Amino acid sequence: MNINVRILTKSVAQQYAFKRIVTFSTKPTQQAAAAAVPQQQEVTGPTVRKPIVPAHYRFVYPEFLPDPKVEWRNAVREKLERLDMLDRRRQIELPEFYVGSILAVTSSDPHAAGKTSRFVGICIHRERCGLRARFILRNVIDHQGIEVVYELYDPTIQKVEVLRLEKRLDDSLFYLRDALPEFSTFDENMEAEPLEEGAPVPINDIKVVLRPRPWLERWERQNLLGVANIEQYIKDKHRKSAEKVQKPWEKYDLMKQYRATIPEEEQKEIFAEVHTELHTLELQRKRNKRKRTFVKPKHLA
Amino acid sequence: MNQADVSKLMSQLRIAVRPTKRNLKNPDGPEGRLLKLRKTVTALVKHERIELYYNRADEARGYAELLISNAIRHGDRHKATMELADYWLLEKQLVHKLFKVLVPRFENSNVSYTRMFKAPRDYPGMYYRKSVLELRGNPYPVLTPDNSQNRNLLHNVLLDEARKEFRREKLANLANKLAAETENATASTTATPAQAPVTETQTEQSKQAEEAPKA
Repeated sequence: MNINVRILTKSVAQQYAFKRIVTFSTKPTQQAAAAAVPQQQEVTGPTVRKPIVPAHYRFVYPEFLPDPKVEWRNAVREKLERLDMLDRRRQIELPEFYVGSILAVTSSDPHAAGKTSRFVGICIHRERCGLRARFILRNVIDHQGIEVVYELYDPTIQKVEVLRLEKRLDDSLFYLRDALPEFSTFDENMEAEPLEEGAPVPINDIKVVLRPRPWLERWERQNLLGVANIEQYIKDKHRKSAEKVQKPWEKYDLMKQYRATIPEEEQKEIFAEVHTELHTLELQRKRNKRKRTFVKPKHLA
Repeated sequence: MNQADVSKLMSQLRIAVRPTKRNLKNPDGPEGRLLKLRKTVTALVKHERIELYYNRADEARGYAELLISNAIRHGDRHKATMELADYWLLEKQLVHKLFKVLVPRFENSNVSYTRMFKAPRDYPGMYYRKSVLELRGNPYPVLTPDNSQNRNLLHNVLLDEARKEFRREKLANLANKLAAETENATASTTATPAQAPVTETQTEQSKQAEEAPKA
């Protein structure tokens, strides 16, 4: 009852204190919100200082978030793994990249000519977390599709370069295996295409053309956005069976989503722990890059 | 070791969450399960306190909590949240209740939005455990017994002792005052025949005054 009284008095006070324009919404209008926000910041600014972790960190460093499966959680192991990951990141630069970006990975290879091998390809999948984080690169070399699985924190990796930083329409690009080879062919001597600083990562909305069936997977069931010609190869029976396995209710299954994610509070805690270190590393890398770009040209004649 | 889904951001629940879901036995599969839970969530938002089987209540509780927390987080101008509310609340007038009543009620709370109690089951009846699920801040009388009057609780013991002490002091004061008055009376009166009974009463009163602080 006390709570009700408090809420009532509060709401009554609010009604008489401010003229509220919008009566249909419980949230203030955008203008009012914009006006209210700086006031709050002024009040809380000097008293409470929190480490500012950028919101995009969870996309840039997804492997720092632990596996949401409760049975496999272990706070101590997760923390130790994060420390190891930071240690590794101090040794080599592991840049930001996404599924659909084009990477060049140089790794130690005892059987290669110079003991190192460099592989250029498009990242078609990212999986696992912590020290086990890994990604798959795909390229077509001499008319042969090649895929290499790299572990991100593998000590044999010597260099990871992002040649083209972009995203695709889908979360994983396994359908490139069934696409025409030109869609996964990338030049080995391709040069890096730098993005402007602070620019958002572009989304490449290219639509891939598939080969005729048989395919490795039933692509028609996966609601792919980046494929142009699925309809061309499927019959009515495929369409029907695809419809049957759809799960339109899953986007409303809140607990399923909750069990697949790490809650925001926990994410904040994790990134607050690693943020300063990652940020200094980023700054260091930027400084080094600038140094490298301003090398004086030698005498030409 | 799967990667956490980063496309969605959810606030942490203030209730214990089971690592896996219960299937809730349904011929229509997962969709039918969700329909069952939708009915429960709708009833919870409508009546604010419901009695039902434990398993179903426990499953529905998480959904109700997340629905409210999403409503608080995004407000009623967020399309996806409105769709969620539309899906989960089968009676559409309850969408208004969610955004206009429950959101202001729980906006500043730092405990869970719902409470769950184990309820007794009738004997002989169905084997399943029963429970009561309710929203916090509901208008009904509380279900938990009020133990604040238990005389064995430490603060009650201390209060009792303090009360006793206070009473003792008061009595002692009273007795002292009376004794003083009688002494004054004896000093002022010089009549001899009345002296014998007065001394008796005086001694009695002084004895009482000595005993009072001991008791």
